[in-house]
Amino acid sequence: DDKLLSEPLSHPDFFNVKELFSLKDLFDARVHLGHKKGCRHRFMEPYIFGCRLDQDIIDLDQTMQHLQLALNFTAHIAYRKGIILFISRKRQFCHLIESTARECGEYAHTRYWQGGLLTNAHIQFGPGVRLPDLLIFLNSLNNVFEPHVAIRDAAKMNIPTVGVVDTNCNPCLITYPIPGNDDSPTAMELYCKLFRMTIIRAKDKRRQSEVFSELR
Amino acid sequence: MAGNRMQKIGSVFSRTRNLLRIGVIKKPLWFDVYAAFPPLREPVYRVPRPRYGKVKDVIRPILYQEDEVRAKFYKVYGSGPRPFNLSQSNYKSTCQRFVEKFNELKEEGKIEEEKLFEETGKALLASGIILQRRGTDKVAQEDHQGVETRGSVLHLQLQTVLEEMQGKKKDQEEQTPELAETQKENPLPS
Repeated sequence: DDKLLSEPLSHPDFFNVKELFSLKDLFDARVHLGHKKGCRHRFMEPYIFGCRLDQDIIDLDQTMQHLQLALNFTAHIAYRKGIILFISRKRQFCHLIESTARECGEYAHTRYWQGGLLTNAHIQFGPGVRLPDLLIFLNSLNNVFEPHVAIRDAAKMNIPTVGVVDTNCNPCLITYPIPGNDDSPTAMELYCKLFRMTIIRAKDKRRQSEVFSELR
Repeated sequence: MAGNRMQKIGSVFSRTRNLLRIGVIKKPLWFDVYAAFPPLREPVYRVPRPRYGKVKDVIRPILYQEDEVRAKFYKVYGSGPRPFNLSQSNYKSTCQRFVEKFNELKEEGKIEEEKLFEETGKALLASGIILQRRGTDKVAQEDHQGVETRGSVLHLQLQTVLEEMQGKKKDQEEQTPELAETQKENPLPS
């Protein structure tokens, strides 16, 4: 059982997440398009390549690195049978994210976030609740363009987070930020597709490894 | 069950590592994975203070050599004759074709610098793209004529109104002669 869990950590890319996306895919999905210069968040400046006619363009080389790390982390969490929660507060993609979560066999929360969902879980849901082991933010802002409360709550409850950060977001508290566009439908479909494929791949690998270890 | 809810001190990993070291917590699922594949930047909280003093824009603007040609094109011809079709990723707009033709003619080097712009316009016309100048002369003439016609119409209208008023005042002369005079004087300078 220990070997089952420790073996994937020795490979740099056990689940081969690099082959799921390429720079051209990111460009075609318009992941590099940011908001206007006035909306820029100070802490996003290292991830921005330049400013074309007042519109920020995100550096896709850095996005590739961050995306690879984030997908690798999610794959390992899914391999270890962790609970993953997708969060987004954009109504446009609420259905897409919920269906993605359903296909993965994981969970999604795309509605109003009540204050104590993570911090007051034992009273809201009852004793002995298992909190999610990973939160994936596909939009890290809520409807009033402020950072989603769940980012701060996850940091409080020592839960790692993966999040897509646009040029107007604060990437400080997100464990594995992915600088990229979070407004275009093509970009969101790409992210959902990537997360779905990694999680399904990781779960299949887990089932295979368990079968092999039982055979021995 | 113990925990550390201070999200502004250190990162999630440093807090969990310290709690583990004390021994008040069981090892969470993600701990080994984070240790093996840490992120590029440790997720420590930073206060989002705006820049004060001489605010320098740290991000460079993206400009190309062809932007000069594009700026001149849009100034002279306005936005091109046909709209941009953004659904195709390999779409070439009129402006882009103009720029490519310009660069071709520049590389050939047979035409002078000043005439390159007009020559590319003519070359595009030859290949079938009609460019309408958004020139200043035509617009100024139209405006001038418009103002003149509008002015003459207003003048006629004013005259008729004044005549009507004068007619009314002659009827009311016995009742309020002074007021009529002031009323007549006021609309004239306006």
